[in-house]
Amino acid sequence: MARSLLIVSRQAPWSGPHAREALDMALAGGAYDLPIALLFLDDGVFQLQRGQQPGALEQKDLGANLQALPLFGVESLYACRHSLQTRGLAEDTLLLPVQVLDAPGLRELLDAHDEVVTI
Amino acid sequence: MATLHLLSHSPFSDERFASCLRLLGERDGLLLSGDAVHALQPGTAPRDALERLPASVALLVLEDDLNARGLSDRQPARARVIDYPGFVDACLQYAKVNSWL
Amino acid sequence: MKFAIALFAAPHSPASRRALRFAEAVLAGGHEIVRVFLYQDGVHSASANAVAPQDERDITADWQRFVERHGLDGVVCIAAALRRGVLDTDEARRYGRPAANLAPGWQLSGLGQLHEAVQTADRLVCFGGP
Repeated sequence: MARSLLIVSRQAPWSGPHAREALDMALAGGAYDLPIALLFLDDGVFQLQRGQQPGALEQKDLGANLQALPLFGVESLYACRHSLQTRGLAEDTLLLPVQVLDAPGLRELLDAHDEVVTI
Repeated sequence: MATLHLLSHSPFSDERFASCLRLLGERDGLLLSGDAVHALQPGTAPRDALERLPASVALLVLEDDLNARGLSDRQPARARVIDYPGFVDACLQYAKVNSWL
Repeated sequence: MKFAIALFAAPHSPASRRALRFAEAVLAGGHEIVRVFLYQDGVHSASANAVAPQDERDITADWQRFVERHGLDGVVCIAAALRRGVLDTDEARRYGRPAANLAPGWQLSGLGQLHEAVQTADRLVCFGGP
């Protein structure tokens, strides 16, 4: 059985290439049909803000790529409730349908995967 | 499926330490390396937080990084100082390693 | 046991030295390294053009010697490397750049190689940050 990987994306979307490189890692795993989950934590939840205009910074649309995750077989998407709340993001306004988890849920998520990469 | 968490950022300038403690399971381990070793500074909030962790959570400190920062005689009694072979062994004592990059 | 080691930080970051010391201890302990994978700023550790000051450790040279001496599978993420100017001769030609700077012992390949290493190894250990 394939080993599962949890990718924790905790960088804001426009602070450099790191958010995109976390996403690329998830997409590459999905393309190989591997069991991949993606968790948005800390500033990473800002990737889920609606109405972003990356063109203003001459950047590609990260949000559009995030929305393509299910097409690449990455359907296990999570966000940290504490990170959302402390950053003023309401759960019903997010760019993607994600499962929002409290600390116990986050611990279970981590336990349930064979490996984890926190970027 | 306990996890060994590897921190290397200073808790005084970065959110990783706080987020890691929130995710830490009772059987998990915490390995301080690099600037994360500054969390051991006596009389500080990060040091207090480490002292308050459940006894079941192993607290490990990478020796080179501890010595470099002048904290070698100031670590708490519960901390275990490890060298690189000890680091390798610690990775094998847990099901996975979560590096807070 | 089988280890996969991934490095995400630049060679001037202490994390690069930490990863190298860890990798040395893995082999010294009788374990196997299935792959060393460089991603994000870690790709700079495969640059042949970094010059360390004479009185400082040359960590990119140390990495190159380590990978070559032990015949390790040293893989550099091609997308991250191109973005940061670490090119082999094929990529330098393809993009019309004046020089290739990928150090011997390393090869450019895709992110699939990291996922494959996760599948092959007993433990993935990532290094980054300060």
